[in-house]
Amino acid sequence: MEAFYEWFQQLYDSTGWNFVFMYDEYERDRLLEAMWVTIKLSLSCLVFSLVVGVIGAWAQGAKSAILRNFIYWYIQAFRNTPPLVQILFFYFVIGNLFPTYDAGGYQEQYIGAFGWAVVSLSFFAGAFNVEIFRAGVEAVPTATVEAAQSLGYSRLKAYLYIVLPLAFRVSLPALNNNLVNLVKTTTLAYIIAVPEMMYTANQMWSDNVNVSEMMIVLFFFYVGLVAILVYFMHRWERSMRIPGYGA
Amino acid sequence: MSDLPVLLPSAANLLNDAGRQRREGAFRVDLKLWHGVVLVAALAVVLGVAEAAGNAKESPWAVLVNWMPFILWGQEGHWQGFSLNIIISFFAMLIGTVVGAALGLMQVSLLLPVRTGSWIVTQFFRNSPWLVLLFTIMLMLPFEIQIGDTIIPIPDWVKAVIGFSLPVMANISEVVRGAVISLPSGQWESAESLAFTRFQTMWMIILPQCVKRMIPPWMNWYAILAMATPLCSIMGVEESVTFTQQAMSAEGGRPELLAPFYVFLLVIFFIYIYPIARWTVRLERKYSVKI
Amino acid sequence: MIKKLLTVVSTIALALTFGIQAASAGDNDRLMKVLNRGKIVIGVKADYKPWGFRDTSGKLVGMEIDMAQDVADALGVKLELVPVQSSNRMQFVQQGKIDMMIATMSDKADRRKVVGIIDPNYYTSGTNVLASKKAGLKKWEDLRGKPVCGKQGAFYNKPVSQRYGAKIVAFVGNAEAKQALKDGRCVAWVYDDSSIMADLASGDWDGYEMPMMTEDDTPWGLAVPLEERDKLFGRFMAGMIYEWHQSGRLMELEKKWGIQPTAYLKQMNERLKAYSPN
Repeated sequence: MEAFYEWFQQLYDSTGWNFVFMYDEYERDRLLEAMWVTIKLSLSCLVFSLVVGVIGAWAQGAKSAILRNFIYWYIQAFRNTPPLVQILFFYFVIGNLFPTYDAGGYQEQYIGAFGWAVVSLSFFAGAFNVEIFRAGVEAVPTATVEAAQSLGYSRLKAYLYIVLPLAFRVSLPALNNNLVNLVKTTTLAYIIAVPEMMYTANQMWSDNVNVSEMMIVLFFFYVGLVAILVYFMHRWERSMRIPGYGA
Repeated sequence: MSDLPVLLPSAANLLNDAGRQRREGAFRVDLKLWHGVVLVAALAVVLGVAEAAGNAKESPWAVLVNWMPFILWGQEGHWQGFSLNIIISFFAMLIGTVVGAALGLMQVSLLLPVRTGSWIVTQFFRNSPWLVLLFTIMLMLPFEIQIGDTIIPIPDWVKAVIGFSLPVMANISEVVRGAVISLPSGQWESAESLAFTRFQTMWMIILPQCVKRMIPPWMNWYAILAMATPLCSIMGVEESVTFTQQAMSAEGGRPELLAPFYVFLLVIFFIYIYPIARWTVRLERKYSVKI
Repeated sequence: MIKKLLTVVSTIALALTFGIQAASAGDNDRLMKVLNRGKIVIGVKADYKPWGFRDTSGKLVGMEIDMAQDVADALGVKLELVPVQSSNRMQFVQQGKIDMMIATMSDKADRRKVVGIIDPNYYTSGTNVLASKKAGLKKWEDLRGKPVCGKQGAFYNKPVSQRYGAKIVAFVGNAEAKQALKDGRCVAWVYDDSSIMADLASGDWDGYEMPMMTEDDTPWGLAVPLEERDKLFGRFMAGMIYEWHQSGRLMELEKKWGIQPTAYLKQMNERLKAYSPN
């Protein structure tokens, strides 16, 4: 392994191509952590936005008009403002309303920058997911729901066991589009200093003046990540296909 | 509404929407007038809050008004600030459309290498984050090129235009390809039977029918591009967000100015993009093809 | 028909590739270019009050802009200012986009390999932090494990985090970083001491202090292209800096822009004061 790293040091000395994270341990740790943070951020946002979507779709069909209105305003607000501004708003404005604890001279928030990035991006993607899941839920034939009720399923159980699986399969294509966009949007977390790939690459090229090398790494990372996601997405869609539905 | 246990119309709508989104690459920008009203109200609110919070050395509203001309059009005799955002979006859209249309037509070519090559290019630029593409172009291109005896300077905003035109080109390519393959194959077959060459078919029969279908997604991409132009502020291009940040630091970095200045930016972007978004929706309804 | 088109296009492409070259450098090239053109392009900061910032008409003003004007006047050419950022200022000089830069750049060994930094240095500043008095920070070691706000791209972020184990939280702009400090998201804001002193003097920051010993007192350097550092351009700029120190011009500018008088400038002025036979 050491020889591998040594080779990059030689590469730098001879050609000037400075892949500093290969031979410098501090930078290598930084970059690996950044990759891990980006993946963690993407996965957390994926999962939470799905949860927000499911709950929101259920709330849209609720009896209470207040709840329905609230979801409507939530969707409008999050769909029509730039996600960058949403992240800043959550971190600086909402963050200040939250309780803090004294951690020796400064107030430590229970939710740090990473947490707020997850919250903000999940609500952003969740707004789109609510619409998607609602359409999916509406697509379930009434005859099926009635059949479930006649078999003694309670409303909640019918939703969980009959409606949701079917709605999910129907919404999958639209959902997958949204999730791929979400992964690309996680680069915005850089504005509130979440140490993900974009932020760390920026720091590294400021410290080491090796912009082009870091660019290459960034490119490969993101294109690779999106390609992997799209690949699994297509496989999932194919395995979840409803016969007779779709082109 | 059917009594039978068949998937209801919203399933078909969802599939159409998903397909359309995949073809065109993004959601439709759907702004309403009351969104703008809410934004202006938000501006008033944050100004009020800033007034209360600040040292009242100078009212945040007065500060904002002082800096407004600078943020909107920059210095005298220069096209900077928000006007530069518009200029960048215009030129990036122009280049992106021309190159993207060519790329899209290459994707439906009969030659396999052309098809594969253009597919790779399209997918690569579609799936790269815009920020990374922008950074790459702005840092790699030289600031001037010498052809023979003349030196042609490449200002920063031109590099930004090129940087933005890459993802736009890839997405327009997808739009064009989607429009071309959405035409019934009967059109191609009748053209063939009438002895049109492929080029003639494309130019005289297919493309004219496609143009109508392509206009709404094309305008949607312009709206998305216009909203994305502030990304180049990270590279110091002298547009509205850069100038906002410089104005804030000239005011001593007072934190209470953060919200008013950023909400002001939201308002001016809304004022520019809202008419485009509305027009897109109207055109889409007008051109929706009823078979 | 298509074949014809392809041949034409490929010929043009080939011709262009051979024709396009980046501008090449040589002896005293840059200075000669400046004098022939009658215009010097100097890179300055546009967001670092009071060294380089904007007034409401958008004009660039500040201490370093005044210095740039002095340079242009001495050469007898017009001045054109280009706003630069920490991330691109050295690259711009290298590429030739700007002829030189006076942009609050700290003089570091690895930077001297990239651009021609001129001796003597025209200013110094050190790294320090702005922290709330309640935090009770006394020395740099107190920052271990604590979040410290900073600005993205600053060179002292890495040493502070490596040396003292502070967790640097870097924002795009100082306004955002200061807001985070005020919100209590970090225990301190790391920046250079002259800016912090200016902020404390402005009166917006009662209850805050600059507690540490200023570290890494790093001189600032202005830079010309590397290949001209030991030629006419570099020598000329060295002369300019000498003159600025000797005549007290820098101290005068410091006062004009409300910067806290630094010991360094005073020392240099004393040391280099012209001999007057009395």
